[in-house]
Order: sequence, then C-alpha cells, then structure tokens
Amino acid sequence: MTNYDDSPVRGGAAQGPQAEQAATASDPNIASDLAPVDAALTADGATGRGEGVGQAKETEGLSQGQIVRARFLRHRGALFGLITLSAITLMSVLTMGLGPIRGLWKYQDHTRSGDMVNGGEPSLRLPFAGGGFAIGDHPFGQDSIGSDYFALVMSGVQTSLFVMLVLGLTAMIIGVTIGSISGYYRGKIDMVLMRFTDLIITLPVLILGAVLGRLLDVIPIKLDATAAQREALKANMPLLLAVVLGMILWTGLARLTRSEFLSLREREFVDSARVAGASDWRIITKHMLPNAMGVIIVNVTLLMSVAVTLEAALSFLNFGIKPPNVSLGLLIADNQGAFATRPWLFWWPGLFIILIALSVNFIGDGLRDAFDPRTRKIPSDRAMKKAARELAAANPAAAIQEAK
Amino acid sequence: MSTTTPAPKRAAAPAPKVALDSFQRLSRSTGAEVKQGDVILEVRDLTVNFWVNDSWFTAAEGLDYDLKAGEVLAIVGESGSGKTQSSMSLIGLLPKNGRTTGSAKLKGTELVGMPQSELREIRGNEISVIFQEPMTALNPVYTVGFQIVETLRTHFLMNPSDAKVRAIELMRLVEIPDPEDSFNKFPHQLSGGQRQRIMIAQALACDPKLLIADEPTTALDVTVQAEILKLMRELRTRVNAGIILITHSMGVVADMADRIIVMKDGRVVEHGTAADVFYRPQHPYTKALLAAVPHLGETRIEDGRSDALVVKDREFLALEPADDPSVVPALLLENVDITYPKQGRRPAFRAAEGINLRLNPGEVMGLVGESGSGKTTIGRAAVALLPVSAGKITVCGIDITGANNQELKPFRRTVGMVFQDPGSSLNPRLPIGESIGEPILLHEGLKGEALSKRVEDLLDSVELPRSYRNRYPHELSGGQKQRIGVARALALNPKLLVADEPTSALDVSVQARVLKLFSNLQEQYGFACLFISHDLAVVEMVSSKIAVMTHGKLVEVGATSDIVTYPQHPYTQRLLSAVPVPDPDNQRRRRELRDAIIEREHIVS
Amino acid sequence: MLKFLARRLGLALGILFVLSILMYLLLDVALDPLDDLRTNPSPNRPVMIANRVAMLELDQPVWVRYLHWLGRFVQGNFGMAWRSGQPVNAILSTAIPTSIQLVFASTVIAILLGVTIGVVSALRQYTAFDYAITFVSFLMYSLPIFWVAVLLKQFLAIGLNDYINEPTINWMIVGGVALVSGLFWVGAIGGEPRKKLMVFVCAFAATFGVLAYALLSGWVQHPSIGIIGVSLMALATAFVVSVLFAGLNNRRALGAALTAAVVGIGAWYGCQWLFFYVEMSMLWMLGLLVLAIAVGALIGWLWGGPDRAVSMRGAVIVSIVVSVLVFIDRVFQGWQQYSQMGTIRGRPIATIGAETPGLGGDFWITQLDRFTHLLLPTIALVLISFATYTRYQRGAMLEVMNQDYIRTARSKGLPERLVIVRHALRNALMPLASIVPVDFIAMIGGAVITETIFSWAGMGRMFVTSLAQSEVDPIMVYVMITGGLAMVANLIADFLYAVIDPRIRVDA
Repeated sequence: MTNYDDSPVRGGAAQGPQAEQAATASDPNIASDLAPVDAALTADGATGRGEGVGQAKETEGLSQGQIVRARFLRHRGALFGLITLSAITLMSVLTMGLGPIRGLWKYQDHTRSGDMVNGGEPSLRLPFAGGGFAIGDHPFGQDSIGSDYFALVMSGVQTSLFVMLVLGLTAMIIGVTIGSISGYYRGKIDMVLMRFTDLIITLPVLILGAVLGRLLDVIPIKLDATAAQREALKANMPLLLAVVLGMILWTGLARLTRSEFLSLREREFVDSARVAGASDWRIITKHMLPNAMGVIIVNVTLLMSVAVTLEAALSFLNFGIKPPNVSLGLLIADNQGAFATRPWLFWWPGLFIILIALSVNFIGDGLRDAFDPRTRKIPSDRAMKKAARELAAANPAAAIQEAK
Repeated sequence: MSTTTPAPKRAAAPAPKVALDSFQRLSRSTGAEVKQGDVILEVRDLTVNFWVNDSWFTAAEGLDYDLKAGEVLAIVGESGSGKTQSSMSLIGLLPKNGRTTGSAKLKGTELVGMPQSELREIRGNEISVIFQEPMTALNPVYTVGFQIVETLRTHFLMNPSDAKVRAIELMRLVEIPDPEDSFNKFPHQLSGGQRQRIMIAQALACDPKLLIADEPTTALDVTVQAEILKLMRELRTRVNAGIILITHSMGVVADMADRIIVMKDGRVVEHGTAADVFYRPQHPYTKALLAAVPHLGETRIEDGRSDALVVKDREFLALEPADDPSVVPALLLENVDITYPKQGRRPAFRAAEGINLRLNPGEVMGLVGESGSGKTTIGRAAVALLPVSAGKITVCGIDITGANNQELKPFRRTVGMVFQDPGSSLNPRLPIGESIGEPILLHEGLKGEALSKRVEDLLDSVELPRSYRNRYPHELSGGQKQRIGVARALALNPKLLVADEPTSALDVSVQARVLKLFSNLQEQYGFACLFISHDLAVVEMVSSKIAVMTHGKLVEVGATSDIVTYPQHPYTQRLLSAVPVPDPDNQRRRRELRDAIIEREHIVS
Repeated sequence: MLKFLARRLGLALGILFVLSILMYLLLDVALDPLDDLRTNPSPNRPVMIANRVAMLELDQPVWVRYLHWLGRFVQGNFGMAWRSGQPVNAILSTAIPTSIQLVFASTVIAILLGVTIGVVSALRQYTAFDYAITFVSFLMYSLPIFWVAVLLKQFLAIGLNDYINEPTINWMIVGGVALVSGLFWVGAIGGEPRKKLMVFVCAFAATFGVLAYALLSGWVQHPSIGIIGVSLMALATAFVVSVLFAGLNNRRALGAALTAAVVGIGAWYGCQWLFFYVEMSMLWMLGLLVLAIAVGALIGWLWGGPDRAVSMRGAVIVSIVVSVLVFIDRVFQGWQQYSQMGTIRGRPIATIGAETPGLGGDFWITQLDRFTHLLLPTIALVLISFATYTRYQRGAMLEVMNQDYIRTARSKGLPERLVIVRHALRNALMPLASIVPVDFIAMIGGAVITETIFSWAGMGRMFVTSLAQSEVDPIMVYVMITGGLAMVANLIADFLYAVIDPRIRVDA
C-alpha cells in the first residue's frame, strides 16, 4: 500500500506524490474541471515549502543521465580517480605511442639494452626533494641490462589498461547475457545457468586464470605451430589473456544482473510494456537493460580494478604475460631480487599498478553513489553546526532542539 | 467517550495486574500523576526546519496547541504537509539535518532544547510512538515478547519474569490471541493487524502520558483498520494518556478525533473541534479537502435507511441473468482458477478459484477486496499477464486462455491497463512521449510526425501540456504520472481497460482529480472497465457494478447501488461497515452498526 | 532442516564431480608433460618420449585417464608428482595444515578488524574519519599482494631484525605513530571539541608512552607480557566487555566479568607451575581452554540475577581472552632462548618458510617459531582482505541504521549503545554470512601468491610448481580440496544464516 511517510531522509521524495503541489503550481497550463478545488489545494504559494520540495528542486528539468553526471562530479574521490586515470593514460599514450603510431619518448624500443648511466639510478628530480625539477635521460632509471625503465613502465601501463578494458568488456558481454536471460526467463534455464555460474565461482579466479594462462603458453607448442603463428600469438598475448580472464570473471556480474532483472520484472512498467504488446527482446533491451545499466556499469568498473591486480599477479607467477610483452607484474617479478640494490625497479611499476587500481575503484564508488537513487547530500556535522548558528541568529529567543 | 457497545464475547481484558508503581524507575518521571482532563502537553510556536542544499527550509511552522489527558488530537494533512515531523520533533527523533524551535512543555517540562540523554528517558516512558508500518517497525530478529520486555526493562528495574508477566498482560489488553504463545513469536509470524497490536502494546508498556500514533492504520486493510481503531478508542478511556493521531484519512479522523489540526505545506490552516472542522470548515483548503474525499453510500445514510444491513430478499447471482446474450461481453470469465506455481521453497498458491464474471461493453465494474483477496490476480489474468490454470477467459470474443505471445498480439490492441504505483509504472529511462507512444509504435508502426501527433492528442485528453512529451517520469508528480499511465492505456483506443488500484498511491485531493478525469474519459471513449480497488468509496464513485472478492473467491456481484445499500454476503456487510466515513456523527452510527454485525456473526458461528 | 542440508550436500558433491571432469579436460590441454623432451638434443630422445608416454598413459584417450584418476582418487590415492617422484599424499600431509593455518588465521583477524572498523566508520558517516577509512580501504583493495609481501619482507622483517640486533630509536617514527593513533581515536570517538581534544591528548600520550617504554626498556628485544601485563589486560577486557554487552548499570554482569578476570589472573600462577612440570601439547591447550570457558560460565551463573545469560556471556568472553593472554605470555617467555638458538642467530622474524628446519626445542619454542613465521604472511593477507570487510560492513550497517526498527528502538528510549549493539549490529552482521565463503575462496587464491613469495610449502605453492612442471595429479587434488572447502564454506554460511535469521529458520 501507499507509503505516506514524509520523512525527507527516506527514498523517493522527489519522485513521490510529495512533489504534486510544487509541480502543479509551477505549471499553470494545466486545465482542470476541478478548478476551484485545484485553486484551493494549491493556494498560498506552494513554492519552496513543505517537505520534499528541496529534493524536487534539485532534479528539476534534468534527464536521468544528467542527474547521474551531476552526482558523479560532486563525488570528490571519483573526480580524483577520473583525473588520475586520464593523466596516466595520456602520459603512456603520448610517450610510448599507440600500436603502430610512435610516441614522443626517445626510447621507443623498450627491449633495447643500453649503457648504464650513473649506475642506472633514476634521473628524475622533484622540487621538494631538493635540486629542483629535472627529468633527465632516464627518469625512472635503467634496469639490469640498461634498458630505459620509463619506457618499460609506460609500456606496462598500456598493457594493464588494455587488459583491463578488454577484460571488462568480455566479462560484461558474457555476464550480462547470462544474467539477463536467467533473470528474465527464470525457471529451468535460470537453474541451469546459475548452477554453471556456481561451478565457475567454486575455484579462485587466480587458479583458473593460472591454468588458462598456462594453456595459452602451451597450445602453440602442442599444436606444432609455425614460427610466424607463434610470433602472432605472442604479439597478441595481452588480448588473449584478457579475453580468457574475462571468461572466468563474469560470474559476479551475471548474478548481479540476474537479481537486478528479477526485481525489475516486478516493476509495473515491464508489465505495462507486455500489455502494450512488446516482444521479449524489446522488453529486455529497451526496458530492462537500460534500467539495470547503473548496477552493471558500477560492477564492471570494480571488476576492472580487480583485473589490473589479477593480471599483475598472474604475470608475477609467470602464468600471465611473457616477454617480449611488458607488464607491470612482470617487471616486479623480474626485479624483486634487486630490491636491496636498485629499489626503483620495484617502486615504479608497483606505484602505477596501485594508482590505476585506486583510480578505477574511486570511479566505481562515485558511479555507485551517482546511480543510487537513495544517495542524498547529507550535511556534515560541521555544516549542521554552522547552519544551526544561522537559525539561532534568526530566532534569538527560541531554544533549538538538536536532532538525533 | 461512550462509544463502546457492550460486546460480551470480546469483553475488554482486565486492567494489568503487575502494577508498575511497585518497580523502581530507571528513568525520571516528569511531574505528578495526571488525571483525565489535565493539560499534559502545551505546544507554542513549534517550528521544524531542515537544512537542505545549503539553506533552511521549513517543514512545519507555528504550531500552537494544548492536549489534555484522555483527548485525541488529530493532525491531518496530505503528504509533505509536515504533520509527522512536527510530532517527531517533540521527542527529538528528527533526521540529522532537522532542527526544532519554539516550545513544547510536557506537564511543564520543556522538551525543546532538552539534551538527548534526558530525552531518551522520556521516550517510551512518558511519550511513546506507534508507527505506520508494523512489519518494518519491529525488529525482525527478536520475538515480539522480547521487544515489549525490552521497553519495560529500559525504564523500570524489573526482572525478566515480572516483565514477561506484564508484557503478556499488555498483549491481552490489545487482544492478541493466545498471548503466552505469541510472546515467543517473531514479527513475521504474525499478521499485519497483530503486529500493529504488538506495536500498541509496546507503546503502552510504561503507561505513557502521551501517545503519538503516526498513521497507525494506513498500512492495514480496512476491516483490520476498523478493529485497530476500535481498540484504540477503548484504550483511550482506560489509560490516562493524550493521543496525537497523525493521519491523512478523513475517515479515521472522523472516527477518533476530539480536536483536529489541518496542516498544509507546513502551516496550520485550521484548528478546532471535530464538529467544527467537519461541519463548519473555515479555510478553503479544508473545504476542498473534505469535498475531495469520496463519501461511501452517502445517499443511504441520508435516506435514514441505516437498517439496510439487515438481509433483504435479493437473489445472489454471480452472472446477471438480465444480460443480453446477443451482446458480446467485453470480458467474460468462466470458472477461472489461477494458481501461482511453486517457486523455490514457496509452495504453489491458488490465488483465485471458480471465478465467473461478465463485463458488458461500455460498463465500469468495480472489483473490491482486501489485500490477498486475489483481485489483482484477476485483473492481470484479464490482460493475459498471468496464465489461468483452469476455466476460460474471453475478451471481446477472443479466447485468450493458453494463447502464446504471437497469438496474443491482436488481442493486445483491444486492452489497456492502468497500474497501481505511478512511481514504477513508467520506465524511468524513457521520455514520457516514448512511453505513451510505445503501443502505437508496436501495433500501428507509426513513427515520427504521425506518432508525435497521436501522443500530443493523448496528452491533451488527459489534460497535460504537450511539452511534457519530452520530460522524464521523475520530473512529474504522482498524479501527473498516473495521468500518463491512463493516456498510455488509452493509446490504442481499447475496448477493455483494467485499472489496478489506480488512485491508491495518491493523495486524496489528487485522487479526486484523477477520478474525475477518468470518468470523463470513460464517457468520451466508451471503453468497458474493470476497476480494481480496496476502497469501496472510490469504486462507488466510478462504477455501475461492483464485484466483491475475498480469499480468492468472488462472493458477491451486483449493481453498485444494490451492493452499497443491500449487501447480501456477510463479508460484504463487514467490509462496508468497516469503511470509516468522513463525518463524525455518521461514523458513530456506522460503528455501532458494525459492532452489531460482528455480534450477530459471533452468535451465528 | 536436515532435508535442506542433505539436498545442499548432494548438490555440492554434484558440482564437485562436474568440476573434476572439466578441470581434467582443461588440464589435459593446458599441460605439456613432454615440453622439456621436445627440445632435448640427446640421440635417444624418442625412447625417452616413449617412456614418459608410457608412464603417464599419454597414449590412452583422456577420458580413460580421467576414469583411472577418479578410481584412484575415491580410494584415497591422490597420485604422484611425477617429476620429483613424491606421492601427493605425502606432500599433502604437510601442505594442508600449513595452508589452513595461514588462511584461517588471516581470515579470522581480517573479519574481526574489518567488521569493527566498518561498523565504526558507518556510525561516523560523513566525518573525516569515515573518509580516511574509505580511502585507506580502497588503497588496500588496490594493493597487489605480491608487492606488499615483498615490501613487508624488506622493511618489517629485515628492519625489525636489524633493530633487535642494533637498537637505534627513531623518535620521528614514534611521534608519527602516536600522532596517527591520536587522530584515529579522535575520529572514531568524536564528540564536542573539548572531548575531542581530551581524547587526542590521551591517545597520543598513551601511544607515545607505550612505544617509548617498549623501545627504551628493551621490551622489543625481549618481548614479554608478565603477570602485570596479563592482569591489566584482563581487567581492561572485563570492563570493555561489560560496557559493550551489558552496560555498566548491570552490576552483576560487571561483577561476573571482573571475577572471571581475577580468577584468570590467579590461574596464571597455577599455569606456570603446570607448564613447568608437564610437557604441553595442542590437546592440552584445547582442554585448558574448554576448562576456562566452563569456569567462566560457572562464574556468570553464580553471579546470577535476572540476566543470568548476559553475565555468563560476559564472563565466558573474558575467560577466553585471559586464556589466550596466558598462552601468549608463556610463548613469549621462550623468546630469549629462541632468539639465541643456533638456527635463528638473533634474527627472529622469519621471511621464508613455515618453520625453521631442525629447530628442536619444546612445545613452547615450536609455537613461538610458528608465530614468527606466520607473522609476515598473515599481515600481508589481512591487509588485502580486511578492506573488503570494512567496505561491506560499512554498507550493511548504514543500510540497517536507516531501517524503521532502529527508529522504533530509539522511540522506546533505549540507550544508543543498545540501539547499536542489540538492534543494528545483530541485523548488520547477518549478510556477512554470505560473503565470508566468497572471501574465503579469494583468500585461498591470495595464499597461492603469499606462499610463493614466503616459500611456504603449502598447497598453493604445490599448485604453482605442479602447474609449471605439468604434473596433473597434485593440481587435481588441489582443485578438489579448494572446491570442497568452498562448498563447505557455503554450506556453513547457509547453516549460519538459517540459525541467525528467524525468517529463514521457519521456512526451511
């Protein structure tokens, strides 16, 4: 039955019947047979009074997408994540190029060894460490065979970002397809698909990932592939690995999409579409998926952050990306023994893994808040105190009751 | 109040034996004992503000009232009028961003500005609250007995066994069947009405001086509501407490209140005795509000035929024999059973059985019943959203029983459906225009200009501006969304419209407008309509025939005036008498009549 | 209930069976047992290949090999790691306890820490503390575990060992830690500015004082608790437990908890005597713990009063804590002897392996050795998974705090402590049952890396080496054990859910 609760902290104030007065009053074009009643009911300035009006104002005249964007940009962590991730992407693309396009950095071939300069120490100088700002010849130093470490790390960053995107996309396609079919049709199909999901979920992703990574490694040898085929396989290793990992990471997404679909099925607009004669395909794609997209996007984002660390971990265990490809995990694995003597070989790739994963996490958190209709801007204690002083100044005589 | 009729079988329970006085208080008690008629609460210039988007806005303003022990003060208003927050502010239970100013004295002790630690001792002890939704307001993981005992032991030094005795007595007081057994039950094992009784027992546990009842019956079925109101009416004479009744329902107010405050947009627009407000309203808003409330069976009461509930000789017939067989009915249900299949651990559930129903073209039939009666199930089956497990459904001569999606396509053109919840019946991601135009696009393949034209015509017909075509649902109010729902249902000019509780989520003034619009459209388009509702008064306004359902069975079908005036089936009689009418004198008569019916049933059974 | 459990068990076995088939097929493709021979320049290469094919039955179709494997597996013969020639059963007998120890300890610690901090963070929503916790947990969540493990090895282990040998106190670090601790407590407790200042000063001074004492008095080199430490901690525990679970108004509960603490302190003396004369074992420890619990329950029962259950619960918790304290105290008494042993050579914090080979020493020394080895990997695993619990618990708590029944509890006049502990926490802990199994699976995955880095001879390491060396049997066993554990974890979760949520209990 109806929820007549008029507390502003709980959901739906902007969408609920509360906004009736405000919305009606703001639109004088509405004709009605009950004009006198209307006039009485909406009399004495219904603008900006009564509960719920504040929220209604906040979202007036905006589409769903615009509201989400506004909320996302209000989330400081998400903004930080977005800026950092963009900066990292831009830096790696500008310096190391993209695919066949050459970048601006002088050492484009990260496999080339070179002469050791200053014991391979980083030439990057930052102002607060003294000595002013300088990039130098090898800002991140050189590895044990004298390759430029900056070029290596930037290539690794590209691999990580690439794996992250492809993996997210693969997992999304599989997970959303399985989840929506399961949730929409329910019954036997649902049973079979969910048991299959249970099966995949039983093993840690790292275990399955390691086996699959190993499989990618072994297959060309077993099939006696030609040298050219092997080269092609090697060059596309990040792509293959990402797709293969995507094929095991979709489970959580499938479960979420399913439960989202199960609850959307109960929403009346789905029935409404069915009564209107819409086909299953139309109902799924036009009515349900767009409404489940918020949850899906948020979880794909969070999945991507897992992807970054998972790829690094697999490469570290030597079941992931292999030379000549570069990956941040591989760089750490190669150089962990050198920690005591040349710690920068360890710091730089780790720093970038963390920065990427952290940014993606924050973006995901921001998206979650932005898509969640229950999210409200609740003032902090400090803001409330300041506001209370304002109120007290306006009513000097009155006592003020603090809320619980 | 001398309202209780003698009812030997449901005699009031004896007063609690465990006297609270014999236990040491843990919380302070403010002031001395109160007697009936003492002023217990003085509210002066009470204002509630909320800090939203960096500015204060007022939720309630300038409340002034006194409340005496044994008196019921009703605060009435539509949603967003500030009626709840103004009362929650008394005990400091506002959301974090709320502040209260002004003065509220409980027996001379100022409540506004009191520190939380002292307020805590007053809550549940001197002032207690009955909340709206008994399912969510009780903690699901503790037994109801424990939750009452907890209240007692918070304010009194009591050992668990004494507290249990007192709790069981309280449960007996609120007429919980078999209180010893129910003591150990969890909230989900009780019915909605019983949960609300537990809520009341818990609120009465420490003999409070002031009871705040926040929409205590809104979530309940009308017959259960009548019982809870009866209980509360009896209690007010036995506990020396003042009651603040917060509600949107004029019927409930007429049933209970001594004095009434009408609120709108945070302001008090009218304050007076029940008789003043109902019979001599001053403010135009009060007048409009009273006018907007549908009055059940007004004519009957005015005719003075209140003895109508005595069974008259009228044939009870499911299928009216007067129906002309040459007319193809808009909707025909023949021996229909509907079963929800077993799902997971939930067993199969028969929602409707043996339904025979005939709806002629152009006719509006109201389908009435309480929650769980199967009325919505019938409505959904009529538009082929649910399969029937036995019997046959024919719509305008098309047999839709067991048809698949493809076969149903031509049928879909002839029906439309209006849904209950305006918040969920429109796809939030689609602009209004697309939602309305979808049926036209799917069946007539119209696109672009032609589609826009049709959508604009439909918007005109539901009296909304054409510019709304490009708006999204969340920008619209509930009433506007429901108009959109009607427009969409009418897009293909259907022969049959199923309206499932179309106004139950709306405020009463909005409901009045939507109902008026609906009647106009029905005249204009001439569709047949199955109007499903729990509210007899609403159904009476729009329909020419009424069908009554309970427990999955159709118990009575007939012309509206017959059903409202000469109900045959005892359930219909009970249902009718349980609806509170917004008129204190009438309501009192109806109440007495109702007690008589229940009495009679008890004797019969 | 039994029927429900039986059905779940049957389903779990079915899933495991299908899993074994799929994994066997997958491994058949992914492993190449002949890889080293393909490039072997030796003239008798064909013979060697033929031998190996015969040994591994590679000439048979894969399903025959699977059936053979299954036949052996159900009989308890887990096959052989053919490269080293070791039977898998033999590897497992040491690998399983090692891994379980690691995963179990870190899961428990991560849950306790994560849940507590998550709850506090939710209660202090939108404060600087909440934001800081959010940031830290995201950071932890983003850390690659192998990177953290290497860092821990380098800084914590080597740094601590160096310090123990050559103590030089860095007052900057001590001050920094004290500052962080002060800020943490201010954030967690909150309140008016005056209270905040007081909390900060107290927390700062306490942390600084304790650290300074530990460093200056040489406690770090010779850690011990002693009877004074045990007494103080026992009494503090009694106090905290009473405040949280009973409220100070309940004098009987406080009395019971304090009695349990005092009895425990008394028992310390008895234990010293017992430990000196009798050689201890794990069994003894368990027996003593059970005894302590029984005594605690008895104390609570004797204090009685109307709320006997509350008193008993408090006393039992205190008894458990005191028992653990006495145990740790005794373990630390062996520190001096341990760090001077030949194999340790004054560097007690271990970076490699699960135990020091050829250590010798009695029960207590073995415990201490195990502890020093567990320290780093446990910290690594906890750091990673604690973030998940914090985020999750914060969300659950926020959700619950918005429920109507919390408002009802407040409207009844319950003290805020009861509103939170009794009404909110109980409900907010329920969803935890559904993520613990999932996280447990993730933890096993994390253990693979941790064991590799810290060279623990656990199952994860067995998996990694076998995968690299194309040995199918150990991998299959690993998969079956991991899958089985996951199934068991899920079953326990279902069971727990049914026990703690009355709404499910009745339907089942």
